[in-house]
Amino acid sequence: MSDPGSAPAGAGAASAARQWLMRIRRLPLSRPVRIMNVCGGHERSIAQGGLRSLMPDGVELIPGPGCPVCVCPEEDVYAAIRIALDHDVTLVTFGDMLRVPANVAKGEIRTLEAAKAAGADVRPIASPLEAVAIADADPARTVVFFAVGFETTMAPVAAMMRERLPDNLLLLLSGRRTWPAVAMLLASGRPGFDALVAPGHVSTVMGPLEWAFVVRDHAMPCAVAGFSADSLLAAIYSTLRQIAENRPVLDNCYAGAVRNEGNPTAQRHLAAAMSIVDAPWRGIGVIPCSGYKLRPEYAAHDARPVFAEEVEAGRRRVGEMPPGCACAEVVLGRIYPTGCPLYGTACLPRQPVGPCMVSDEGACRIWWSAGARRDRERDRRLEPACK
Amino acid sequence: MCLAVPMRVDSVTGYVARCSAKGVERDVNLFLIQDEPVAIGDHVLVHVGYAIQKVTAEDAGTTWALLDEVFAGAPGALGAE
Repeated sequence: MSDPGSAPAGAGAASAARQWLMRIRRLPLSRPVRIMNVCGGHERSIAQGGLRSLMPDGVELIPGPGCPVCVCPEEDVYAAIRIALDHDVTLVTFGDMLRVPANVAKGEIRTLEAAKAAGADVRPIASPLEAVAIADADPARTVVFFAVGFETTMAPVAAMMRERLPDNLLLLLSGRRTWPAVAMLLASGRPGFDALVAPGHVSTVMGPLEWAFVVRDHAMPCAVAGFSADSLLAAIYSTLRQIAENRPVLDNCYAGAVRNEGNPTAQRHLAAAMSIVDAPWRGIGVIPCSGYKLRPEYAAHDARPVFAEEVEAGRRRVGEMPPGCACAEVVLGRIYPTGCPLYGTACLPRQPVGPCMVSDEGACRIWWSAGARRDRERDRRLEPACK
Repeated sequence: MCLAVPMRVDSVTGYVARCSAKGVERDVNLFLIQDEPVAIGDHVLVHVGYAIQKVTAEDAGTTWALLDEVFAGAPGALGAE
């Protein structure tokens, strides 16, 4: 890994960011560049920091597949709703999942939140440890943990499983890995981006070398970033300089939290608890090697065979999306959130149509919160090359 | 959902550390960093109740400043330009 430059010593965060911005503006760029990020936290910092508007002409920052809630397949959301409604169980899940709508007929219950209002025992949790505590509080009652997340979140779920898993705690596992989605985009022949800002906390756990394929197989610049404006701008500068010099490398601009080997202990627990499988992404389809599955040792805790009927009912809905919802296109970076016809009209944070407007990690929710409204000029810019 | 927050370790009992950040106290599980020594005064990155990595005090401070901005919905780190 190389360090194409470091921030001036002793500078505050804002002035360090300004320094990076000046360096970016001084780079000789002969063609437009699209830089994709694949992390809701990155997108939030970019949107709220106004970094997009500070880029030189021709440099676009594109939100990509960075929201695990947004890619959780419709069939799993539907199965979770049915399990909670039709069985005498407690269903726990990370808070964002409560409002993700399934595409059901009018009048039917379409979210876990609505299932809860209808009497189902659905509880939002902020940690896998809360799932254990809820299961411990009533050992006679089955607790189903609908576990959604990327690698950063699946490692704690694995830790929970490895440390102590109560007999009455089952998992409806819907975890996903980030790099296979990027690999799929790159292999498609029309990725729609020229450089990648790799996720910070996924890399904290898994190590930055997971992203080496971007440079090695596709000769595309790549830099791991943290979440501050100066770390993101450092990563943007790194990729742009790599393009200007035609010298792609894997850079690490978040060295404080991202070690070369990642967190080997977390990787060991993940590998011991879960195996890797091909897995469906909402509205996108199956991506090879992109999902987690419980290892056979944990079969007694797998909710899927126990609630086979609900899982099968969900499977019949594979690929369903609400009419007009362009979340899949947003997740893949094919369009900006504001390019979706429902953005800000039928789809708003208080009445979301698709998951990207629900989750705090969803690009639509982030853009709406940051005040982004429709912009024909900007929305048109992204579309032609990607369509 | 992948965002982790740095916290300072105030005490350690087995795999559980009492940690604090900006006046908020939490129990944090150390299972994912069990192969590293964790001492009082160390800083850890915490995600969904679990420490996922040790960080320096300096890096912790930078992240807190950022989170203040993000959650206050304050104008960008660069101000109006």
